[in-house]
Amino acid sequence: MADINRTIQELLSDYAGALRDGCVPVFLKSLTRQEGQTIGSSGEFWDATEVVRVLNGVGFAGKAATADVGLFTSRVDANIVSRLKKPKTSSRPRRTTEGRSQTAPRRTEETV
Amino acid sequence: MNRRLRNALKGLTVADGDRRRRAMEPFVRATFDMFIRYLYRYLGNEVECEDVLEDVYADIWENAERLRHVATERELLRTVYMYYMRKHLREVYRRMNRHLYLPQKDLENLTAPELGILETMSQIEMEQVLHRAMGRLKARERRAVELWMEGYSSRAIANELRTTVGAVKMLKFRTTLKLKSMLNEYCDNG
Repeated sequence: MADINRTIQELLSDYAGALRDGCVPVFLKSLTRQEGQTIGSSGEFWDATEVVRVLNGVGFAGKAATADVGLFTSRVDANIVSRLKKPKTSSRPRRTTEGRSQTAPRRTEETV
Repeated sequence: MNRRLRNALKGLTVADGDRRRRAMEPFVRATFDMFIRYLYRYLGNEVECEDVLEDVYADIWENAERLRHVATERELLRTVYMYYMRKHLREVYRRMNRHLYLPQKDLENLTAPELGILETMSQIEMEQVLHRAMGRLKARERRAVELWMEGYSSRAIANELRTTVGAVKMLKFRTTLKLKSMLNEYCDNG
């Protein structure tokens, strides 16, 4: 990926390689301004990336060494527990009805 | 959708948080393989896939409303990608954007794209369609894709096909586009 201003087929090949090796950020960082523009303006590149992702899924996802589901379940549970413990924070102070006048119920509500 | 998955999904939509938490285990067991393979298409990295998926499941526990009316596996995959996975996939790369020469929109399209027809297919369906499409390629094109899928580098493929690296890259690009139109044809007919 050391070349500068690669052609579209070279870019696709490098993207496919990066996706296969799990290092897409390295590919993204390697892009020059001109290559970024080339990618942006090439419809063929976007068509090809869709197939590359499919090939990646079919060719390599099966070979990936994934975690034991039992262990993973406990990771998920720990994540849920941490969310339960974490108080929900918001940037704005909560609105309260205190100190505000109560509005009269709308006519539609009365009929219901 | 099989009964195990349907029951697991039912448990997720109850109001009580503790019951939902207990319902997560069967849901994770029923979907882990499917989801992790799907994420692998976009990340190509087991560790990142697991990190993203952990947050995806926790988000589902928090709010599974989107999954209430899901009826098929395909629909489940599509909904989970659109409403839970995509957000996290984008987050993986968001911080990088300042240092890249790629506009935000292109970055998103590359890392967490809109779902194309091909990407909504299940793994098994995809394998079958791809197998058929590969059968229609020329021998040289098929060999190049097979070697690529076996993990060969462009240089190694060039050695195997007795050609140059540049020619292999061009061959891969053209073959990919050919495969795309064949797969689209299949989707339109199917």
